Amino acid sequence: MPKVTIDGTELEVAPGTTILQACQQAGVEIPHFCYHERLQIAGNCRMCLVEVERSPKPVASCAMPVADGNVILTQSEKARKARHGVMEMLLLNHPLDCPICDQGGECDLQDQAMAYGFDRGRFDEGKRAVRDKDFGPLVATSMNRCIHCTRCIRFLNEIAGVEELGATGRGEAMEITTYVERALGSELSANIVDLCPVGALTSKPYAFVARPWELRKTESVDVLDAVGSNIRIDARGDQVLRVLPRLNEDVNEEWLSDKSRFAVDGLVHRRLDRPYIRRGGRLVEVEWSEALDLVADRMKATPPERIAAIAGDLCDAETMFAAKELLQGLGAQSLDCRQDGARLDSACRAGYLFNTTIAGIERADACLLIGTNPRREAALVNARLRKRYLMGGFRVAAIGPELNLTYPAEMLGDGGDALNALVEGNHPCGEILRNAKAPMLILGQGALRRPDGDRVLGAARALAEACGMIRDDWNGFNVLHVAAARVGGLELGFVPGPGGSGTAAILAGCKSGATELLYLLGADECDLGNTGGAFVIYQGHHGDRGAARADVILPGAAYTEKDASWVNTEGRVQPGRRATFPPGEAREDWTILRALSGALGRTLPYDSLPELRARMRAAHPGFAHIDAIVPAAWGPFGAAGPVDPAPFTYPVDDYYRTDPISRASPTMAKCSQLFGGHPDAAPRTGTHG
Amino acid sequence: MAEFWHGYLLPLLITIGEILCVVVPLLVAIAYYTYAERKVLAYSQLRKGPNVVGPLGLLQPIADAIKMLFKETIVPSSANRVLFIAAPIVSTALALVAWAVIPFDTGVVISNINVGILYLFAISSLGVYGIIIAGWASNSRYAFLGALRSAAQMVSYEVSIGFVLVTVLLCAGSLNLTDIVMAQRTVWFFIPLFPMFVVFFISGLAETNRAPFDLPEGESEIVAGFHVEYSAMTWLLFFMAEYGNMILVSAMTTILFLGGWLAPFNIEPFSGFLGHVWALLWLLGKILFVMFCILWVRATFPRFRYDQLMRLGWKVFLPLSLFWLVLTAGVLVATGWVPSH
Amino acid sequence: MNALSRRARSLLLWELLAGMALTLRYMFRRPVTVNYPYEKGPLSPRFRGEHALRRYPNGEERCIACKLCEAICPALAITIEAEPRDDGSRRTTRYDIDMTKCIYCGYCQEACPVDAIVEGPNFEFAAETREELFYDKEKLLANGDRWEAEIAKALSLAAPYR
Repeated sequence: MPKVTIDGTELEVAPGTTILQACQQAGVEIPHFCYHERLQIAGNCRMCLVEVERSPKPVASCAMPVADGNVILTQSEKARKARHGVMEMLLLNHPLDCPICDQGGECDLQDQAMAYGFDRGRFDEGKRAVRDKDFGPLVATSMNRCIHCTRCIRFLNEIAGVEELGATGRGEAMEITTYVERALGSELSANIVDLCPVGALTSKPYAFVARPWELRKTESVDVLDAVGSNIRIDARGDQVLRVLPRLNEDVNEEWLSDKSRFAVDGLVHRRLDRPYIRRGGRLVEVEWSEALDLVADRMKATPPERIAAIAGDLCDAETMFAAKELLQGLGAQSLDCRQDGARLDSACRAGYLFNTTIAGIERADACLLIGTNPRREAALVNARLRKRYLMGGFRVAAIGPELNLTYPAEMLGDGGDALNALVEGNHPCGEILRNAKAPMLILGQGALRRPDGDRVLGAARALAEACGMIRDDWNGFNVLHVAAARVGGLELGFVPGPGGSGTAAILAGCKSGATELLYLLGADECDLGNTGGAFVIYQGHHGDRGAARADVILPGAAYTEKDASWVNTEGRVQPGRRATFPPGEAREDWTILRALSGALGRTLPYDSLPELRARMRAAHPGFAHIDAIVPAAWGPFGAAGPVDPAPFTYPVDDYYRTDPISRASPTMAKCSQLFGGHPDAAPRTGTHG
Repeated sequence: MAEFWHGYLLPLLITIGEILCVVVPLLVAIAYYTYAERKVLAYSQLRKGPNVVGPLGLLQPIADAIKMLFKETIVPSSANRVLFIAAPIVSTALALVAWAVIPFDTGVVISNINVGILYLFAISSLGVYGIIIAGWASNSRYAFLGALRSAAQMVSYEVSIGFVLVTVLLCAGSLNLTDIVMAQRTVWFFIPLFPMFVVFFISGLAETNRAPFDLPEGESEIVAGFHVEYSAMTWLLFFMAEYGNMILVSAMTTILFLGGWLAPFNIEPFSGFLGHVWALLWLLGKILFVMFCILWVRATFPRFRYDQLMRLGWKVFLPLSLFWLVLTAGVLVATGWVPSH
Repeated sequence: MNALSRRARSLLLWELLAGMALTLRYMFRRPVTVNYPYEKGPLSPRFRGEHALRRYPNGEERCIACKLCEAICPALAITIEAEPRDDGSRRTTRYDIDMTKCIYCGYCQEACPVDAIVEGPNFEFAAETREELFYDKEKLLANGDRWEAEIAKALSLAAPYR
């Protein structure tokens, strides 16, 4: 253990620690631009210079490992002068356009120039001018401002795994470029906006919209995929202006996928802001009382076995709990939260969770993907898999059609036959899994939503048990969800009760007349095209497929507009917080159900969210563990029997348009058009059309 | 018919004509006294005062009057309506009635009664009723407080004024105002009775609620005192009463102490009609000077505190005037200068 | 002796007479009144009057929507919204000043990096309704066009002291 002295304080650090890390451990702040703890060390900005005794020149602390007995001075005259010089050099070519720069107010260069810079420049020559690049519809560039820290290059090469960005030229002629002008083909591309320490890369949809000091910051959780990324919602007035990632080492580290970041402009389009009733084929605006009375009357008039409810993919746990209590109180048993028909078993928790946990991926050494494309379904899980791959000694195999992942994956076959072969032990790849110390498999919704999904689930379970994935200290069986509401629904038992029917049967019942009243809790992804004469109530926030079919629309709140909980694919309960109020007459979803219960004369026993949560936690103790994993006990689930050999299909066809919010988003529409829905497919270049 | 004409109608018409000859110039004087006040205050504060309406702002009083006439008279809902309206009428009427006994020259007076000074004293004492009625009828705290202050103040200073008047009467030997003026042929009374002249002038300020004794209006404490609820025409009447009283006090000061219409050293270069004009000019000149002094005092001094006001009235002026009364009487008896008719 | 002279002064109203003499003297001094609508007092080049948004000589508006004025405004009188203009430059879509909130402190023109928002020499902008005092961008730009000559002169006069 080397001992170092930092500004007079003695400290013992692990071997291989850099001087900058040692200083951070000692609580000494060292200014830096190119260094980033999750990226490789480049050492090219020189801002982190410190004085090391018996070293002839100041040392770049980010790239220099400590040696035993080093005496480091960060506040000496020499270090200070070195920083002044570096800052002056960095500012030589940096334009003085802070007033029109979107980074202004949250800019590392601004802050550090104030804290460590010299108060005047001596550079009289003309500044460098660089042509701006087109990086697609998400990232705006202003390349004059670039200080060549190469964080963006390193991020895309290492974390995102797309080697699309690089530098050409040297010295003053250096330029960050995509070589041929084209949009960045990564679902994580916008993270380079956060990484850029200056205003060279900024958010295009957010361009010039607001200043950081105007924004109201709310810490919340993302629901546009099932990862449950931690986010910070920045709002001004009644509008959400941007979403930024929030650090959570167990879930999203500090990254955020592009959809989660940019779909929020869909929150102002196609919103349901007041109740509607369909009269004579047209939806007519009505008052709340009228809509609720109509729904209550119809519910009273309908026999409970003919009432059904389907929860959508963005639905929060509190709403599902209230809906379940209300409908089961009436006697209805046909509830379902699996609107894609995935054959998941709510009886055994381990059978629907991502048991390894996202952070646990880093401990695995072999991975089998079954019917899933994590890059589109859960971009940050994919980023973890790539992170594990970069650590070395990690083999990935996949069952399903052609995949374009950010790490090499061995394709074992298109569908069921490959899985059957693996289970029977007839596949060469089985050996790898069996020999691995910590093997894992990820079962996707593409495999589970087929009619034989329960047999796929059983086969995967058998495979996991056969390959030693289930041990006391390791659970390598994982289900990767796509919908943020899904795990919460399963945990709450928002599934058919005794004698109730599931999504497919409910929809078939609508056609045949067996279901007379259908309550949609923001369900837009199921096939509502042929629902016969059923009376459809849609409670949700966007005028999407569900609202188009509805007979009554009850306007609810989107995820940025309510205090509510979601459970991510790992079974992690995370609270989302309200950043803005719902538009117009729209209300938080659980209050709508509470009001409806009053109109029905069966008032739900809670008047406030804490009361509702207390009741929910009493019924489902797992919800008391906020942001924590409660390990699931292994048990029987799935069905025995061979799997249909037909190829799997992946659940997410268009990454940019998976839910009502992203479908309403103009930015997502642009991306979808540009990439054809597939960020991993070759994007069209900027010279197209 | 002829008897009726000569016996009743003609004297009545003559009296009405005489009254108009006094009242009309008086009303004009009141109007322009407000203008003069604003001008004097303005110039003493290096301002210009009204100068927009008409040449040098001379039409300003007319404009103000028109404005007042056209504004709405607001009667508070809880006020006593009859008394509320009656109060300003009483005040103004009393201010005008006093002029019946003011002589403008020997024999030039509406009513040359023998108890002229007593009449004046009585009328000016009645003036306090208008204010008390106004303060009570307004049914407003501020108005009531203002009226209380005003009544207390007027009563206090009337005592001193009374003694001052008696002193003058001792010297003149008559209650008739013309006789009092004629008694000053030898020497104007302000010379032998100078302390009494000062007491009378200051008490006159207090009697008319003028600065520095304008506590009944005290806008910083009781907003505007007794007339806080008044507006438009009713307020205008109070205003006229106040300025009418100021002119009256000026006239009384002139007659009692400054020799009335007498020129200094009894210089009388003219006789006949011109002689009357000469006398009138002297009278008006002296009255205008006293009126100016009132404004001058206002421009100079800040308002008294209430306890100071009472102290001055009861503990300074009253003993002083009493002492001077005894002194005057003693001197007159000792020297045998007691006037006799 | 001192007490005696004080008594004598008091009895003879000496202080009062001195005061009246002072007022009398003042009555004959020249009034300082300015005959306002026809005459106007001198204005400092730094006078902070009605706001204006300026333009460059080629007609391009100066304001770049940096929002520094909005940030510094102690009365929260300024509201700005911005978006990229068709040519990609940063411009305001809305620039409102609530003149009824404004306290005329001049921080906005101090904060402005491009001398776009200025408080011009005009102080005669009374209006009959409150609504007329809610200035929008159009009104402010019109003010700038109307007062440009005076504003430019005032800025050049004040420049050496900044």
